Amino acid sequence: MEDKDKDKDKEKKYSTVSIPTPLVEKIKQRIEGTGFTSVSSYVTYVLREVIANMDEEEEEVFSKEDEEKVKERLRALGYLD
Amino acid sequence: MRTPDPDVNYIVSGLERSGTSMMMQILHRGGAPVAFDRSRQADYHNPKGYFELEGGKIINRLMEGTFPFDQYRGIFVKITAYGLQYLPSGPGYRYKVIYMQRSLDEILTSMEKMSGPLNREEERPAFEHLHRFALKILRRREDIDYLLVPYRQVVHNPVEEIDRINRFLGGMLSREDAVRAVDPDLYRNVKK
Repeated sequence: MEDKDKDKDKEKKYSTVSIPTPLVEKIKQRIEGTGFTSVSSYVTYVLREVIANMDEEEEEVFSKEDEEKVKERLRALGYLD
Repeated sequence: MRTPDPDVNYIVSGLERSGTSMMMQILHRGGAPVAFDRSRQADYHNPKGYFELEGGKIINRLMEGTFPFDQYRGIFVKITAYGLQYLPSGPGYRYKVIYMQRSLDEILTSMEKMSGPLNREEERPAFEHLHRFALKILRRREDIDYLLVPYRQVVHNPVEEIDRINRFLGGMLSREDAVRAVDPDLYRNVKK
C-alpha cells in the first residue's frame, strides 16, 4: 500500500479529540512503565471500559421489582392474564 | 405500492397507551396488511378499536412461546413494549418494528383513566425502565430493523410522519388514505 493510501485509510478509521493539555500530561505520567505506548491508546482503552460499564448498568435498569409493577398494571389494563 | 416482505414479521410496539392502536389504524387505512381480531371491542379509551390479537393478551402467548410467528409474516401485529423481550430469534426470524414514543406523563394519565388510580412515584420509574429496556432490545438485536415514531409528531404533523414511516416500509402505504386515520380530536391527554 502506498503511503498516500495508508494516510487515507488512517483518516477514515481515526478521529481527533481535543483533551486539555494538563490532562494529557497526567496521562503521560500514568502510562509510564505500563504497556500503553501512547496517550491515544490509553484514552481509547479507558473510553471502551466506560462505555462497556454503562451498558452493563443499563442491563440492570429493568429490575424484577419494576417488572412486577409493570405486570400488575398490564393486568389492570387487560394486556396480561 | 410495495408489498410487504413475506419473510419479515412486522410489529407495532411501544408502551401501552403510547399510540400503538393509532399506528395500527394508520397502517390499516394506508393499505398495509394488519392482523387483528374483534376480541376487544372499541370503547371510550380506543373509539376506533384496539387492533389487537387475542384481546390484547398476545404477551401471554409470547411468554409461553406459543405465538405462531410464521403465520404472521408480512403482516403487522401489535406487540407492546413488554412483549419485545419474548420475540424469538434464530434462522428465519427477521423483524421490522415501528416503536411509538409518547410523553410518559401522558401515558400514565391515559393508563389511569383506563385502569384506575396509579402510584406515579412507583410506576413512573418502572415504565421508564421498561421503555429503556425495550429500546435497548431494538438497538442490540441484529434481526430487528426499527423506526422510532413520536406520538405527538403523528398527531400534529401526520403527513410528514407518515412519509417517514412509508420510507421505512419501502413505500407500502397510500399517504392520503393513511393520513385520514389521524383524528386529532380523539387524542386526549396530549399536552398542548
